[in-house]
Amino acid sequence: MQIEREQAGEDVLLKVAGRLDTPNAKPFEASLLEVVNTTGGGIVVDLAGVVYVSSSGLRALLVAGKAMRTAKRKLSLKSLQPQIREVFDISGFSTLFEIS
Amino acid sequence: MSTSLTPQAPIRASLTIDATVDAIADATEWLGTLAEAEDWPMALKFGLELSVEEALANVVSYAFEGVDAAPMIRLDLLELDGDRIGVRIVDNGIPFDPTNVAEPEVPESVEDAKIGGHGVQLMRHFLESLAYQRLGNENHLILVTKPKTT
Repeated sequence: MQIEREQAGEDVLLKVAGRLDTPNAKPFEASLLEVVNTTGGGIVVDLAGVVYVSSSGLRALLVAGKAMRTAKRKLSLKSLQPQIREVFDISGFSTLFEIS
Repeated sequence: MSTSLTPQAPIRASLTIDATVDAIADATEWLGTLAEAEDWPMALKFGLELSVEEALANVVSYAFEGVDAAPMIRLDLLELDGDRIGVRIVDNGIPFDPTNVAEPEVPESVEDAKIGGHGVQLMRHFLESLAYQRLGNENHLILVTKPKTT
């Protein structure tokens, strides 16, 4: 798993690539929370390079989403590949996040 | 779910892994190698890999709490009739039947959403059948994919 970070105005864009699986979930969650805790704007997670996601990866996004909601900030997702989108749809996560 | 499985199905290949989160990657790599060698359809491979990972995540996280015996986790690739792929996951942890896990409620907001509980939901979606047996001191979970040709 790789994460590239860019500043986009007041928001942070995180370009994630690779596998959001159980072994990678904790480092992924820690990376997300580090951005949540050290920035003040919105966060956009670009999943174009993600080829696999399991419920552990979803959980990491939910933990970050909850922290952002508590802080009254916005976390959104973009560019999900079809199989990744299917996992979000089945688990109900498609309606929890703004996805573009 | 249907349980048209054959527990006595011949074993085509087996893998034993450690009871750690990182060892789940050994199992998914093993499946990936088999998928490549046998040219499994991409969607079938994705769904089976995800289902095996979800099952193993439960096993390594919860199965061995308070268990004295040395943890054992084995995956068997099963020879099935028809056009399906079967994987049996055997562990000697505490009894746990994932087929009894209730579907999580569909959350309406991030605030309401519960952390966890989605693994079995994903397995039910991607597999044709998911069946559980407790045999002696072992959990046997059999995952069967949908047909390769659909």
